Amino acid sequence: MTRPHLLPTAEGPYPPTEGMLNAPVSEAEQERGTKELRAAWKTPEGWRYVTAVNNSEVGKWYSLTALAFMLVAGLLALAMRVQLAFPGMTFLDADRFNQFFTMHGSAMMFLFAVPMFEAISILILPAFLGARDMPFPRLSAYGYWCFLIGGIFVMGSLLFDAGPKAGWFMYPPLATKDEGIGPDIWLLGLSFIEVASIAAAVELIVGALKCRPPGMRVNIMPLYAWYVLVVGGMILFAFPPLIAGDFLFELERSFDWPFFDPTRGGDPILWQHLFWIFGHPEVYIVFLPSIAIAAMIVPTVAQRPIVGYSWIVLSAVGTGFLSFGLWVHHMFTTGLPQISLGFFSAASEAVVIPTGIQIFAFVATLMVGRVKLTLPMLWIAGALAIFVAGGLTGVMLAIVPFNWQVHDTYFIVAHLHYTLFGGMVFPLIAGVYYFYPFFTKKLMSEKLGLWAFWLIFSGFNITFLPMHLTGLMGMPRRVFTYPESSGWGWLNLISTLGAFIVAAGFAVFLFDLLRPKKAQGQIARNPWGAGTLEFSHDIPEEAWGARSVPHITSRYPLWDQPGLVARMDAGRYYLADAPDHQRETIVTSVIDAKPVHVQRVTGPAWITILAAIFTGGAFIFPTFHIYTPAIICGAFAIVSVMYWLWTSTARPPKDDMREAGLGLRLPTYASGPDSVGWWGMWITMLGDATAFASVVFGFFFYWTARSDFPPEGAAHPVGLWVAVAALAGVAAWALTVAARETNARGQVALARLALVLAPLAAGAAGVAAWAAVRDLDPTSHVYPAILWALMVWLVVHLSAGVLMQGYCLAGSIFGKMTPRHDADLRNVTLYWHFMAVKALVTTAVLGLAPGWLT
Amino acid sequence: MSDIRDQQDAHEFRAEALSLWRIIFGPLIWALHFVASYGAAALVCAKAAPGAVAGLRMGIGLGTLLALALIFWLGLQAWRQWDLRRDREWENDAGTSEDRHQFLGHAGFLLAVISFIGVVYVVLPALLIGSCA
Repeated sequence: MTRPHLLPTAEGPYPPTEGMLNAPVSEAEQERGTKELRAAWKTPEGWRYVTAVNNSEVGKWYSLTALAFMLVAGLLALAMRVQLAFPGMTFLDADRFNQFFTMHGSAMMFLFAVPMFEAISILILPAFLGARDMPFPRLSAYGYWCFLIGGIFVMGSLLFDAGPKAGWFMYPPLATKDEGIGPDIWLLGLSFIEVASIAAAVELIVGALKCRPPGMRVNIMPLYAWYVLVVGGMILFAFPPLIAGDFLFELERSFDWPFFDPTRGGDPILWQHLFWIFGHPEVYIVFLPSIAIAAMIVPTVAQRPIVGYSWIVLSAVGTGFLSFGLWVHHMFTTGLPQISLGFFSAASEAVVIPTGIQIFAFVATLMVGRVKLTLPMLWIAGALAIFVAGGLTGVMLAIVPFNWQVHDTYFIVAHLHYTLFGGMVFPLIAGVYYFYPFFTKKLMSEKLGLWAFWLIFSGFNITFLPMHLTGLMGMPRRVFTYPESSGWGWLNLISTLGAFIVAAGFAVFLFDLLRPKKAQGQIARNPWGAGTLEFSHDIPEEAWGARSVPHITSRYPLWDQPGLVARMDAGRYYLADAPDHQRETIVTSVIDAKPVHVQRVTGPAWITILAAIFTGGAFIFPTFHIYTPAIICGAFAIVSVMYWLWTSTARPPKDDMREAGLGLRLPTYASGPDSVGWWGMWITMLGDATAFASVVFGFFFYWTARSDFPPEGAAHPVGLWVAVAALAGVAAWALTVAARETNARGQVALARLALVLAPLAAGAAGVAAWAAVRDLDPTSHVYPAILWALMVWLVVHLSAGVLMQGYCLAGSIFGKMTPRHDADLRNVTLYWHFMAVKALVTTAVLGLAPGWLT
Repeated sequence: MSDIRDQQDAHEFRAEALSLWRIIFGPLIWALHFVASYGAAALVCAKAAPGAVAGLRMGIGLGTLLALALIFWLGLQAWRQWDLRRDREWENDAGTSEDRHQFLGHAGFLLAVISFIGVVYVVLPALLIGSCA
């Protein structure tokens, strides 16, 4: 690969010496910097406020929206508890009860737990890193608006009595045969939100890898950033199988392709696999970020560095991996071979080790420190107690024979609420108390906090502790009522009373969270005496993130680097001004955080909101089987996204270099692996490749699970067309690579020629793939259906690739892309590397696999 | 005062980029071993004659030995990189190249240990269960 060596690299002294850091900056210079930064980072006012993309604004909206969905889902739970308080209640009928428990679970997982992680991380990650903002602010804003639209759509279905009602895991055939539009709302609405989740994961991973302050090497970055990396990676490998499953499921619902219909060769178990490959890591995706909050609070409370930093990194990474080997423990009763169940039982026990290690590390830190029992610490203590109880029942459930006994009973309900309350809700609330001064520059009330804690803690145990017994006595989950003779009545009544105590606790918490606190006056800048960078924040609030981006040499810079905050405030570190009134942040190298370049970040825009609305249309119209407006919306969504990219990303800068402060001069443009866009593409493509692999897995799954796959005498794809598709796909890739190479050598005309030919080759590949399966009938059997699904997947990705090639061609013609400024083309080439592999795998499955398998 | 364009530093960085990946090689081997064991069991139980289970268990056993050997080797390398015996340094919390280098060794070593235990756990069913039923 030709490196873009024509671009300048960083120059000047680094790392800064003590003498350089002590050199004062003149008053006038400080004032100029402050004024420029204020102008660049100004939050839009009035009705334009919604166009803001700054992480502090988007993060606030995101977390408040997720909180609102959580409260609605909580109210659904209260209604269910009322219905179950006595035998034979008629508060809710069976149908509404089904909708309520389905939406309670779905909303808590998809609209609260995962988005809340993203919301909180968008809010605080840049602050931990002393960064100005996330690398792709408009992507966060786009993700937020998608989440809002999708969430309201899915939740709103309850008001029309049309909510999904097949349980949060939507098992076929119950969900495929459902006559209403409930399952479609679930599949399309939540797929839409999953896309937004992946967008946020990409943003957070790139943020943690490339936007750390100079000097913050991987061994001293805050543990929160490690957790963000792990959880982001997990989202990339966990959500795509579900998206692939949704894709197959919706094809069955809309077009009768029989993926999960056993009468035509399908298999409902495939859905269970795809769902739980997502569903179990999901539990850890929810748990790890909350434990990350604990990892930030515990050292502050103990007033000393965390004990066993490396052990916690081990625990986060180890849990991230092992949690992918657990999914079948949700499927112990589906009749899989004993030996297979054994593997998952063993892995489920093994994951306890890393999970336990981090808890021991926290306890050790508390033991050797001087603990002040603050409110955040109280919630963390509650979390540990409840989570350990949930973990112990988890160990019991990982044992196959015990699991068979309590499968689908209230014992499971008790277990999962203990893990989720202890592993997520309590640490999250601890985080709210802890970071509240950072979010709002105010403090929450100590007295109300104690009330909220004891109400929620006792109410939680009163609700869920009896459920272990209710379950062991045989009460199944998801029943809307039960007879008096069952003997469960009194236990259910206790649970219902407990649920209202929890609700009262949340009411107190909410009141304290949202009440105006004008009388409080200005609070201390670092009220808890924390050691990490977020408490270097400005009071009163400024929108620029950090007045200047510091040079970091310690895990707890506020404790170990005296004078750091004063130097930041005085603009004595990097990027202390904004001469062009542009938003910028500093991009550093992955391992050692050496300054690489200055990245321009995008500012307020309507286009992200428009793009989200059109994307919403593309997902929501198909729910009602209306396709023309959906396609139009999809087209407009693409146009909006391209307009946004064209106008504000990777444009050749006015000046090649910028004075970054402390004598350092940094490039203002980066291309290839130095740039954040390349990393964003690479990470997105990993997720996309996982989804593709899941569809291919489906093909081979049918082959192992069904003796009639492929069926006797079935028609196969046309070999000639399959071969043409493979060749044309590879040609399109080769031409894209050629375009990159010739362009980098300055042979612009040749590059343009390659960029004209490449989309033609890609188009030919798509048409050939379609021609290969055209004569097969996808509704007749799952074999032609999965071949069609692979073809559709390939054609959609080829189309995206064609748009990208066209985008680069236009960039070359209109001067957005030059031989030196070729970030777009390098990112597109990266996409095409993946595309070439996909084309070859797809054509191999289409053309070769039928021959091997029969 | 050193210059940011110092070439020696750039060289060191390239070597270390691999090191960040290397800390997850242990868990990756665990994952491959897990998927291969599960996939092989699913295939043999669905497609092969009942007698094939003995061959399956033998295959899983051999795969396990290979996986454990690889993880052991990775762990040994990481242990040397951590260099605990020389400097008795457990925390590696300074902002220096040396501490970053040793920290990655420490993390890689711990992950190798957990992967080793994970592989041993996963192979237990193949040792203890003799049939697909």
